[in-house]
Amino acid sequence: MWISKSVPVSAACLLAVLVAPAGVGAEPPGAVSPTESRLLNRSVPDVPLQLADGRTVSMSSLWQDKPLLVTFFYRNCHGICSPFLGWVRDAVRDDGGSGRDYRILALSFDEEDTAADMRSQADALGLAGDPDWLFAVAEPEALARVTGALDFWYRLDPATGQYDHGALLAAVHEGRVARALLGGSGFVERFRIMARELRGEFIPFYTVPNQTAWRCFSFDPVSGRLYMDWGLLILGVPTLVAMAVTFGLFRRGPRRG
Amino acid sequence: MHTTPATTYPGTIGAADAAAPSRDLAVPETQSTIYAWMLTTAALFVILALLGVYMRLVQGGALAGLESWFYPMMTLHGIGMAGLWFVASMACACEALRKHVLASSAVAVFALAGTVVGVVLLLVSVFMGRFAAGWYFLYPLPLQGEWPAWSAVTFLLALTVLGVTWLVWSLDILRAVAVKYSLSHALGWHYLRGETEPAVPPAVIIVTVSMIVNVVALVAAVVVLVLFYLELLTGRPSDALLMKNLTFLFGHTLVNLAMYLAIAVVYDALPDYAGRPWKANKIVAISWNSVLLIVLLAYFHHLYMDFVQPATVQYIGQIASYAASLPAAVVTIFGALLLVYHAPMRWTLASVLFFLGLMGWAIGGIGAVIDSTIVANVRLHNTLWVPAHFHTYMLAGFGIIVGHFYHCGRLQAQGRAERTGYHTVLVTLLVASACGFLAMFYVGGAYSVPRRYSVYPIELAHGATYALWAAVFASVFLLTTVLCLIEVVGSWRKGATGGAEAWVGKSAVAGSLRPSTPNAAIGTSAVSRVDQ
Repeated sequence: MWISKSVPVSAACLLAVLVAPAGVGAEPPGAVSPTESRLLNRSVPDVPLQLADGRTVSMSSLWQDKPLLVTFFYRNCHGICSPFLGWVRDAVRDDGGSGRDYRILALSFDEEDTAADMRSQADALGLAGDPDWLFAVAEPEALARVTGALDFWYRLDPATGQYDHGALLAAVHEGRVARALLGGSGFVERFRIMARELRGEFIPFYTVPNQTAWRCFSFDPVSGRLYMDWGLLILGVPTLVAMAVTFGLFRRGPRRG
Repeated sequence: MHTTPATTYPGTIGAADAAAPSRDLAVPETQSTIYAWMLTTAALFVILALLGVYMRLVQGGALAGLESWFYPMMTLHGIGMAGLWFVASMACACEALRKHVLASSAVAVFALAGTVVGVVLLLVSVFMGRFAAGWYFLYPLPLQGEWPAWSAVTFLLALTVLGVTWLVWSLDILRAVAVKYSLSHALGWHYLRGETEPAVPPAVIIVTVSMIVNVVALVAAVVVLVLFYLELLTGRPSDALLMKNLTFLFGHTLVNLAMYLAIAVVYDALPDYAGRPWKANKIVAISWNSVLLIVLLAYFHHLYMDFVQPATVQYIGQIASYAASLPAAVVTIFGALLLVYHAPMRWTLASVLFFLGLMGWAIGGIGAVIDSTIVANVRLHNTLWVPAHFHTYMLAGFGIIVGHFYHCGRLQAQGRAERTGYHTVLVTLLVASACGFLAMFYVGGAYSVPRRYSVYPIELAHGATYALWAAVFASVFLLTTVLCLIEVVGSWRKGATGGAEAWVGKSAVAGSLRPSTPNAAIGTSAVSRVDQ
C-alpha cells in the first residue's frame, strides 16, 4: 500500500526537518535575557553628577537632546571594568554614532573615586578630550538611587578591597531605559542592535536565550537586514503533508464495482 | 409550524433522490455512530454550557469565593466547546456522507473512543491539575503557569490523543471519498469545465475540501505538540512567533471547518424539506475550492497585535478574512434563500434550525469581518466583541447539529406526528435567549469591556452588569436546549420503538434499505400531519 510506505517516509522527513536545525546556529546576537528585559522602560532618577572636568551637571541634562548610554565602573578595579569600558569604546567607534546619536556616561560606584580618578580613567582609555564620553562621580545617596533604579548590584570584599559587581550598559532615552545590555558573549553584536534602535530603527526580532530553535525570522545587526529562518519552512510543513496525503489517496482513482 | 404535504408537489421525492441517492440493499454501509455522538454531544454540551454560565456569573460578581476556578473553567469551556462543535459536525457530516461513500466502521468507532479518552484527559488536567492556559494554550504559557507540570503534560497528551484520532478519522473520510470519486470530481473541478456529469452532491465537495484543510490543521497541531514535547525534554525554547502561527493555523482553521462541515449537512438535508434539489454547479464548485486556499490564510488576523509578524502578512490576513466570507457564506446563504423561496417548504424543528443556523452564520460572519478589519481590530481586539462573534457562529453551528440529530431521528420515527406547537415555543425561546445572551457580548465589546477578566474592576462595572444579564439569558437558553435535546432524543427513541418492520417496510417502497429523505421516509405521514 502506498500509505504504508509513505507514512514512515513522511514521518522521517518531518522529523529530519524538525531535528536538523536544532543542532545548528549559536545564540543569536539579538538575544534579550530576562534580566535585561526587566529593566526596559524603567525610570532613571535625575541626580547631580560631578564630571571629570569638575563641573556639576544634572543627569537629565545629559539625556535631554539625545539618548545616554550609562555604564558603571571604578578606577581601581582589577577585574572587568577596564576591559568592559574598552569593549564599549571599541563598539562605539565601530558604530560611529557617538555624539551624533548618543553620548556615553561612565559612572563610578566607588565612593573613594574623585574627579581626578575620572580624568585618569579617560586618559587610560584614550578618551580624554572626547566631549561625548563623560566620566563622573556622584554623592553616595545619588549613586544609590541610580544603581538601584538599574538593578546594578555591587559589594565590597573587605579581604581584597575589590568590588564584586557586574557589567551593564543601559541606554536611557528621555529618562527611561530603552534597552539594557549585560556584559558577555556577543556584546558587540548586541550593541549594534541597540544603536540601531536608538536611531529610531524598528528591530522586531529578539529572541530569548538558550538557543531558540527554528525562528521564523532573524536579524543581521551588521547589514540591518531581516532574513527568513527555518521556522518558516516548518510553517509550510502542514500544507505540504496535506497535499502529499491528498494526492496519495486519490492517486489510484475511483474503484469500479 | 406550517407543514406542507410533500406529495402535493409532483416530483418532490424524485428530485430529492437525485440529490441524495439511496444505497442499494446489497452494498455494505458504514456503521452509524450518530446516536452515540448525539448522546455524547448532548451530555457534553450541557456540562460545558453550565461552565459558561458559571463564568458569566463570576464576572457578574454573583459567585464570590469561586473566582479561583474561573480560568481553569474558561480553558475547559473553550477547548471543550470548540472540540465538541468540531466532532459533532464531523459526525453529522459522516452520517450525511453514508449515502454516498463507504467509510470505515472501525475508524468511526475509533473516532468516538479516541475523543472520549481525550476528553477524560482534559477533565483530569483541568479539574485535578487546575490547568488554566486557555483553549489557545498559547506558547509558552502552558509550560510557565502556576499549575503543576503534570497537568500541562496531561493537557498536551489530551490534545495529542484528540489530534491523532481526528487525523485518522479525516484521512479515512478522504480515503472513502477517493474510492468513489477522482480528486477532480470530488472537488467539483468538472463543473468548472462546464461538465455536469457525474453529478457530485455538494456535501461531498464540501467535505472533501474540509478534510484536506483539516489535515493541514491537524498536522499543524502535531507540529506544535512535537515542539512542546521537545522543549519539555530538552529545555530548548521554541520561537514564539512560529508557535503562535502554528497554533492558530490549527485552531482557527478547525473551528472554521466545524462550521463548513455543518454547512455540508445543510446542503444535504435542507433540500428534503424544500422539496427541491440543491445541486452542485460551477458557482458552488468555485466557492468551495476558493475556501481551500483562503481559509488557510485567514488565521493571520489573530496575529494583528504581534508586531513581529511582517506587515505584508497582516494585510494578507485582512484580505483573506474578507475573501473567506464571500465564496462559502454568501454563495451558501443565497443558495439557501433561493432554495426556500417559493418552495413547498416543510418547516419542522430540523429545517427551522438549519435555516436559523445559516442566518446565525451570516450574523456572526459580519461580526467577524468587522473584527478582522485592522483599524477596527485595534479597538476590538481582546474585548468581548471577539467572544460575541464566535459564540454567534457556534450557536448557529450547534443549531444545525441539533437540527440534524432531529432530522436523523425523524428518519426513523416514521408515521409519528411532530409536536409543532411545542417546537414553535422551543425555537422562539431559543432565539430570544440566544439574542439576549449574544447581545450582552456585543454591547460589552462595543463598550470596550475586555475579555478574559474573571472580575471586573470598578472602571468596568458595566461589564459586570452585562455579564449578569448574559448569565440569565444563557440559563434560559440552556434550559430550552435541554428541552430541545430531550425532544431530539425522544425522536430517536420513538423510532427505535417503531420497530424494524416500519423501517424496512417503508423504505422497501423506494427500493432501499434506508429511506434517503424524510419525504420518502415519512411518506403519507406528511399528509396526515397537515390533516390533523
